[in-house]
Amino acid sequence: MAEYRLDCLGEACPIPLLKTQKKMAEMKVGDIIIVEIDHSCAMKNVPEWARKEGYNVEIEEVDDGQWEIIIEKNK
Amino acid sequence: MQKKSAKKKKNQLLAGIILLVIIFIAGVLFSGKSPMLVVYWMFGIAFGFVLQKSRFCFTASLRDPLLTGSTSVTRAVIVAFAIATVGFAAIQYSAHIKGNPIPGYIFPAGLHTVAGAMMFGIGMVIAGGCASGTLMRVGEGFMQQWIAIVFFVVGSLWGARDFGWWTENVINRFSISDGINKNAVHLPNILGWAGAFFGQLLLLAVLFIAAEWFEYRKFNTSQNSDAQNASIQI
Amino acid sequence: MKITEHPLYKKVIKDAWSYWTGAVLLAVLNISLFIVSGKPWGITGAFANWGAWIYKSLGGHPETWAYYSNPDHAKALTEQSFFTNTLSVQNIGIIVGALLAALLASQFKIKKLKSWKQVAAAAIGGLLMGYGARIAYGCNIGAFFSGIASMSLAGWLFAIFIFIGAWIGSKLLVKVFMT
Repeated sequence: MAEYRLDCLGEACPIPLLKTQKKMAEMKVGDIIIVEIDHSCAMKNVPEWARKEGYNVEIEEVDDGQWEIIIEKNK
Repeated sequence: MQKKSAKKKKNQLLAGIILLVIIFIAGVLFSGKSPMLVVYWMFGIAFGFVLQKSRFCFTASLRDPLLTGSTSVTRAVIVAFAIATVGFAAIQYSAHIKGNPIPGYIFPAGLHTVAGAMMFGIGMVIAGGCASGTLMRVGEGFMQQWIAIVFFVVGSLWGARDFGWWTENVINRFSISDGINKNAVHLPNILGWAGAFFGQLLLLAVLFIAAEWFEYRKFNTSQNSDAQNASIQI
Repeated sequence: MKITEHPLYKKVIKDAWSYWTGAVLLAVLNISLFIVSGKPWGITGAFANWGAWIYKSLGGHPETWAYYSNPDHAKALTEQSFFTNTLSVQNIGIIVGALLAALLASQFKIKKLKSWKQVAAAAIGGLLMGYGARIAYGCNIGAFFSGIASMSLAGWLFAIFIFIGAWIGSKLLVKVFMT
C-alpha cells in the first residue's frame, strides 16, 4: 500500500486534475495519493472527479488557500 | 497514513472586514460622482464574490468535457443561460410591444465572430481563465493572471486598433442580417418571438441532456460493468 | 462560539458554493444589471479603454482609430478614466469582490509563478483573448452569456467557435504549456 505525494502548488487549472488522473492510472489498488493544491477550482474538480470514479476522497484545508486532497485507489 | 500537520492558520477574516469597509467607503465616493457608478461598483463586487465562492468557470464549462470528461460546470452554465434567457426575453418583449428599440447585446454575426471566438477559446484555455475568470483570479492572488490581464489589455488595444480594418473587410462583407439589424440577427425576427424563445430554451434543454449523457457514458464505460447503480452528481 | 465556527459562517462564507448556486445568482445578477442599467453584463469593453487611456498618456492617438469614432467609445476615451467609467469600475469591483470572498473565508494566498511556461501561456493567451474579444464584440460574458441570453445569433455562433477554440487550446496546453 504505497503512498504518493503530488505537489501541484502554483499550477493553473486544469493541470492538478490532469496530473492526478495520470498518476492514479499508474497506481495499484490500495495505493493512496495526497495531492497538494492551492487552486480554488481544483479543490472542487479533483475531489469531484475522484468521487465520480468511485474512489474514497478526503479533503483538508492545511493553510490559507491551500488544500490536501487524499484519494485512495480502492478499486 | 501520514498527513502534513496543519500549519497555524492566520485568520484573514479581519482583513476581509476591513476590505468590506473600504468597499463601502468607495461606494459612497462613487455615488457622489454618479449613481450609475456606484451601481456598477456594487454589481462588480457581487459578480466577483459569486464567481469566487462558486468557483464558476466558463473556461472549464467548455474545456472539461473534452479534456477531463466532466460536464458539471457545462450543465451549470446551461442553467445560467436558460434563466437569463427568460429574464432577458421579458425585458426585450416588453420593449417590443411598447414600440421601443430592443435592448440587449445583438451584435453583428459573421466571419469575424468565428475568428474572434476561436481566438478567445484558445487563449482562455492556455491562459487558465476567461475574462471573468481572469478578473476573479487576479483578486485571488494568481500571479499568472496578473500577467494575463496585462496582455489581455494589450490585446484589446491591438484589437481596437485593427477594428476599422475588420469592419471594412470582414464585418461589412461576411455577416448575416435578419433584414432589420445591420449585419446582425435577432432570432425573434426570423423565428417569431415564441419560436425563438421556446426554440432557444428547447435547444438549451437538449444540450443539457446531451451533457449529462456524455458524462454518464464517460464515467461508466471506463468502469466496471455495474451499470445498475450509476449516479450522476452535480 | 468563535464566529468561524458558526454554522452560518461555514455555509455561506467559508464553504465553496455549488456550481448551480453560482449559475442562478449570476443569471439573476445579469438580468438585474440589464434592468437597472439598460445593458446586459459585459467585461472586455473596459479593457480596450484601459489600454487606450494608458496609450494616450504615453503620447498615442487612439482617437484617430475607427473603433473610437463610435460616440460611446469616444466619450469614454476623452471624458472618462479608470474610476469614472462605469464598466471600468465594475471590473475593478469584480477583482475586489473575488478578493473579499477569499479573505472572508481565510483562503487568500498569492500563487507565485512556477515556470516560464506559465508566463508564456498567460501572455499569449491574454493577447488572443483581448484581440478576439474586440473583433467578436465581446468575451465569454458579453458575446457568449449576454449574447445568447439576448437571443442574438452572434451569441450562438460565438458558442460554437469558442468551443472549438477551447478544444484547440486544450491540445496546446497539454503539448506545449504543461508545467
